Amino acid sequence: MAMKTLKDKYCIVGVGETEYSRGSGRTTRAMAVEAMRKAILDAGLRASDVDGVLDYQGGDSTFANHVAPDLGIRLNFYMDVMGGGSSTEALIGLAMGAIETGMCNTVAIYRSMNGYSEFRIGGTGARAAQPVRGMDLAQVPFGMRSAGQTFAFTFMRHMYEYGTTSEQVAHVKVAHSKHASNNPKAIQKERVTVQDVVGSRWIVKPLHLLDCCLETDNATCVIVTTAERARDLKARPVYIMGVAGRVSKPRVDYHWVHGPISRVAGYYAKDIVFGQAGIGPEDVDVTGSYDAFTFTTMLQLEEYGFCKKGEGGAYVSSGIIELGGKRPNNTSGGHLCEGYTHGMSMVIENVRQLRGTVDDTCPGAAEGKHSYDYSVGKCRQVRDPEITMNLGWAMPATGSALIMRR
Amino acid sequence: MPQPVTYRGMSLIVPDNDSEWKEYYANARQHRLTLRACKACGLMRYPAMHACPWCMDLGWTWKEVSGRGTIYSYETVVHAIQPGFKDATPYAVVLVELDEQRGKPTADEALRIIGNLVKPDAVTFEDAKEVAIGRRVRVVFQDLGESMALPQFTLTDEPPQGRVWQLPE
Repeated sequence: MAMKTLKDKYCIVGVGETEYSRGSGRTTRAMAVEAMRKAILDAGLRASDVDGVLDYQGGDSTFANHVAPDLGIRLNFYMDVMGGGSSTEALIGLAMGAIETGMCNTVAIYRSMNGYSEFRIGGTGARAAQPVRGMDLAQVPFGMRSAGQTFAFTFMRHMYEYGTTSEQVAHVKVAHSKHASNNPKAIQKERVTVQDVVGSRWIVKPLHLLDCCLETDNATCVIVTTAERARDLKARPVYIMGVAGRVSKPRVDYHWVHGPISRVAGYYAKDIVFGQAGIGPEDVDVTGSYDAFTFTTMLQLEEYGFCKKGEGGAYVSSGIIELGGKRPNNTSGGHLCEGYTHGMSMVIENVRQLRGTVDDTCPGAAEGKHSYDYSVGKCRQVRDPEITMNLGWAMPATGSALIMRR
Repeated sequence: MPQPVTYRGMSLIVPDNDSEWKEYYANARQHRLTLRACKACGLMRYPAMHACPWCMDLGWTWKEVSGRGTIYSYETVVHAIQPGFKDATPYAVVLVELDEQRGKPTADEALRIIGNLVKPDAVTFEDAKEVAIGRRVRVVFQDLGESMALPQFTLTDEPPQGRVWQLPE
């Protein structure tokens, strides 16, 4: 059955974010307001042009109907969605749907989190003190609670089935650190080697410390509107070719129960998103494969068909995913090096890549003038990318995807 | 409502209205590993769910299984985030495929349960160096108070199933 598609009818017109820090010293409300204001200004819009707001969170953030009025936005539509990774792409799809129905015209989507100083990802602090009951009884009593602990069975089984090695996936961190070294916003700008990664201390085998992303305080925002409206705006429009949201394996709550656990949600999502866009992996110039861990980048690139199933280790260690390679991944440094945002920053980076205005240290970056010198502290703009793809990850069983073009 | 059980600093609660876990843990306290089996198609499922994911039937009975199986995947926690596990690191968490219903209803399916790899006393964690995919295990029960026991897994002398694999270090 042919997929319904809204290809090229909607655009991302504005992007914005706060500083990435480990101690923001302020509320998620303050950060959300800043990020949304930047995105509105980036688009060349006024507050009165934005009439829809979506956000995602896990009980750790400020609601949309609190953030919008601070900026003088009167809402025709808003919704707060539970969730972390894979939400960005899904909410972009929902925003398109809300506009398509006529409920509103322009939607700002934000994520604001004190992910380091207030609510850390691993369930420590306030979350750890809660009683263990319900579905948590299947794993928490066995010392299995954090994201890394919950995903590790999948990573380990992939190594068993396909011979994937720690050294191969370490190249994801190596590549992203190279990219972050050219990103003034990145928390961790130092380039690392494979030996640095596999020599760092164990967290939960098969994950070393440097296989894991950086918990971060930040807010991020993107603005979606119609292509018709986008053509009148300041920034070069970035067109949405296809979107898939929170596509899931048959079991999400206990993902390790079902099927081959080395399979991830992209197995199901790829036909939806490529079907809408009418392209294949070979047409994509830049990827943004969610790097909660080195392994998640590898698993998704493989499952979406950028290489054969089981060959993800060889793919990510081939140089293809580095700046200067055939198809760079997470050119901002991603969650492993720039900062952890639950996916939004990777969409923002790809929007800037397609505009040609990545915020590296090139003096003419804002006007699209780049050196394409990828040595330390220099450029991270890819030369004339036409199509980018984001691969959002919530967990092995759930993912989202977004294909954009300039 | 039964009192919470304290284990490794966690408060574990199975209230009277917990229609998924209550009987599972009561049976575990009797040292019986029981799973829900569909009354219509007969297939078992874990964890205890309220409908059969294979035929959508709502009827089920508890069925006792042998508790024998093979390590399908594992992880070794070196940096514990739960305070009560800090003194136990490194510890192995195993994903065990039970012998019953392997490869049914499709080749990729099996009954899989999470536990720690423990000594036969069910309490002491096994040396994490012993854990490997393919090694055979059996269930043992770690009693927690009067109303609950945690099903855990311990290694057996049986020959491994398929290839034995451990993360190279």
